[in-house]
Amino acid sequence: MSTSPLYPLWLRVWHWYNAALFLALVVSGVSMHYAGTAWLLGFNQAVAIHNVSGSLLALGWIAFVLANLKSDNGRHYLPRPRGLVRDLWVQARYYAYGIFRDEPHPFHAGPAAKFNVLQQLSYLGAMYLLMPLLILSGLGFLFSPQLPETLLGISSLWLVAMTHVLTSYLLVLFLLVHVYIITIGDSLTANLRAMLTGEHGTSDDTQETDRHAS
Amino acid sequence: MTHHCSRPRPTRWLAGALLALVTSLLAPAASAVETARDHDCLRCHAMSTLAYREPDSGEIRSLALDPQQLDHSVHAELACSDCHARGYGRYPHRARLTDEQLGCVECHADDPADATYRLDRIAEEFDASVHATSDHHKLRQFDCHSCHDPHGFRASQVGDDLGAIVRRDNQTCLDCHHRVTDPLRGSHAWLPQRDAHWAAVRCIDCHTPSTPQASHQILAAADSSKRCVACHSRDSRLREGLYRYRLAQDQAEHGWLASLVRNDAYIVGMSRSPLLDALSLTILALVALVIALHGYGRYRLARRRKENDR
Repeated sequence: MSTSPLYPLWLRVWHWYNAALFLALVVSGVSMHYAGTAWLLGFNQAVAIHNVSGSLLALGWIAFVLANLKSDNGRHYLPRPRGLVRDLWVQARYYAYGIFRDEPHPFHAGPAAKFNVLQQLSYLGAMYLLMPLLILSGLGFLFSPQLPETLLGISSLWLVAMTHVLTSYLLVLFLLVHVYIITIGDSLTANLRAMLTGEHGTSDDTQETDRHAS
Repeated sequence: MTHHCSRPRPTRWLAGALLALVTSLLAPAASAVETARDHDCLRCHAMSTLAYREPDSGEIRSLALDPQQLDHSVHAELACSDCHARGYGRYPHRARLTDEQLGCVECHADDPADATYRLDRIAEEFDASVHATSDHHKLRQFDCHSCHDPHGFRASQVGDDLGAIVRRDNQTCLDCHHRVTDPLRGSHAWLPQRDAHWAAVRCIDCHTPSTPQASHQILAAADSSKRCVACHSRDSRLREGLYRYRLAQDQAEHGWLASLVRNDAYIVGMSRSPLLDALSLTILALVALVIALHGYGRYRLARRRKENDR
């Protein structure tokens, strides 16, 4: 049985903290955006949940950035520029074609490299592009009295609203793909277990990996 | 000459400081009360029963003032004679004084606050308002004071309760338009959540044209806005006006941290863009479909593998 520490405890706690807040934000955000529709939360309740969860998510993001600066975890999100296009092609080809041909997974998570290049790029985009935009636009809502009336001739509040909605949709898209992609590990639940226990690879996984490789 | 130069004891000093603090805190309230009480006019006009009968119509007209309300009004520090200058030396006052014309704009022409409130603009708006253009017999003597009682008027301040502002503002309209609230009259029956709207927005939010500051151009019922998207949309009038104030009020009252949690300035629909929503939901649905097909493909593969293993 081979095990290798992959996710430190702080990262796992942060991950599930984010997951819970993401769910709360999606449910409350949809309830606010489509207020009045059946099956959704009450408007006032949704607003309170959204404001609190959003503030907590922003704090979590700041902690994540600081932790990545202090530890070497941040390097896992940076793809190697050399052979980037080739790596991308190999990974995308596997997901789209190779996986159905029973080809071996071209990437195995380990302490040296936790994420394949597609994961790296999507995490990089989500955490360092979409999240800052989401947080800044969320703060824009909360501090709208301090905003200028217009920005480049457009209502600044409308810009804030559209940025917030667009980044939210893109992050929901990320979430959707993320939840599915984690099932494509060495086994169906290997990645999920790794994020729960921190360890990666079990005897079952090894068997499957070995069978793939053979 | 003897000098009693002893150092004040800390307790005595503290008591003195406390007294000075309490006096300074109480002083503005006390002096404001005195300002109103000082008016000689209030000896009679503070009597709640002071009134006269209109000779033509026979209607009873009250001449009473509420001294408390006057104390809190924007005009509390003025002497009565600053506005009611001439002809009040005789008692009872002469009948012609009932025609006395007092205009806010004339007095406030040199007021520094004019820059904020733009009284010249208010005068123009009022001239275009239904209250000025209608030839309804009840509007014959309509002027600023018909809505804004100069003896009680006070502009809303950051820190005032928004619900109270809305109630006070709407009461000004309902004083005359009281039949609007009659359940048997359907003038506002079209409005969804009518009572919630009445508690949260001012009459003028729909019954004036959209301007950054509250307009005095009151529109006729037929010209008033019935467009939901005027508020529930990207250019929300409320968000830019009343509710921007509400958020500023929240922050002033509870601090910015608390306003993070309890701020409720989001108005339904302001972040909605039908195109963006349709596009995003379509993309999400397509991605979900691709994922479902991908998952099904993997399931078929796993089953085939299992059969081969057998």
